[in-house]
Amino acid sequence: MSDPHIDDALRTMLPRLRRFALWLARDIHAADDLVQSTVERALARWHTRREEESLRAWLFSIMYRQFIDGKRRANRYAMLLGSLGREEPTWPSAERVAVAYSTLAGFASLPAEQRSLLIWISVEGMSYQEVADILEVPIGTVMSRLSRARRALRQLGEGDPQSPSLRLLK
Amino acid sequence: MNLTPPSEHDIHAYVDGHLDGPRRGEVERYLARHPEQADEVQGWRHDAQQLRTLLAGDVAPAPALDPLRVRARARQRRTVRWATAAGILLCLAVGGIGGWAARGMGTGEAPMADAMQAYRLLALDHGVGMDITTGNESDLRSWLAGRVGPDVRLPDLADAGFRPMGGRLFATDQGPAAMVLYDDGNGHTVSFYVRPPGPARRFLPRGAREDDGLLANYWSEGSHNYAVVTLSDTAGRQAAGRVTGKAI
Repeated sequence: MSDPHIDDALRTMLPRLRRFALWLARDIHAADDLVQSTVERALARWHTRREEESLRAWLFSIMYRQFIDGKRRANRYAMLLGSLGREEPTWPSAERVAVAYSTLAGFASLPAEQRSLLIWISVEGMSYQEVADILEVPIGTVMSRLSRARRALRQLGEGDPQSPSLRLLK
Repeated sequence: MNLTPPSEHDIHAYVDGHLDGPRRGEVERYLARHPEQADEVQGWRHDAQQLRTLLAGDVAPAPALDPLRVRARARQRRTVRWATAAGILLCLAVGGIGGWAARGMGTGEAPMADAMQAYRLLALDHGVGMDITTGNESDLRSWLAGRVGPDVRLPDLADAGFRPMGGRLFATDQGPAAMVLYDDGNGHTVSFYVRPPGPARRFLPRGAREDDGLLANYWSEGSHNYAVVTLSDTAGRQAAGRVTGKAI
């Protein structure tokens, strides 16, 4: 049943998956749960993967969907319970330092979809078409959402003493 | 010259470095004439670079997330789920089969408990609330035959000093039951109770039991179950002995 090729392919994707999960869930424990369920699902559905589809985009799409579904469930429970007991996210120590950079702090405060868009496009360098496929929207929609995300990040980073480079460069 | 503004797609592609030579030049030329937009685009580029740098660091490895371990855990969970399902099925089967086997077993009641209840209801009040009040045995016999069954034998207890006072019908789960109350003129009463065995045809072995001051002797004969109920004192026992001796 277990195929070493599949395992190897997944293994090489683990660091990216974990990074994405971390910035999606903004909590190291939730992130690892997310990676675990993503890998599990990927193993169970390996046969449904289209050959031409990039493994990275496929895995990100599984993870993103799981995260959104989980959040929807959590919201339902929160509504049932009548209280949104927002827990303090736990960051791994390296990230805790990194969050001190206000760009990252701003980034962390963006909505999940905007965080995902920026990671997929700016960090992972994925194509707009791949992102459109994951979100199941036309490419034009990806463009306008990307503009919104970039403006939002810009706004949060503005007046940021850590990133005066832009003003100096001009 | 006034250039048409580049599309949103081209602007982003420019930021992300996906744009090739000629179109890239076009965007650059446009931005050179629109400093405000150039500013924004420059900011986006800067943010993207910063994100790449800051997020590039790898998180500590997590061996628990290795596909092999994930597979093993999923397998384990499936096994537990199957075991749980099998357990539930087994419980249902045992309960179902057990319940079927035990159906009607006692129906939670001691034999002829209804006879004792009937006695309590009527005899202790000495015949208040009877459906038929007569000492005439042939009247009682035909009353019984019409209500419970033609083959019901009403005992003649005159030798034992008991005379019938009347009878009353009861509804039981097994069908109509009847009780005939006898009295010896000294305050002792004996009840003669008869009912059909019901669809389960549960006939009773001959027996007796006491419950809460009452004594019931019961048996089955023909197609009916019978009980004779008295008080469980000495006089009651003697009367019951004489009656059952007669009734058989």
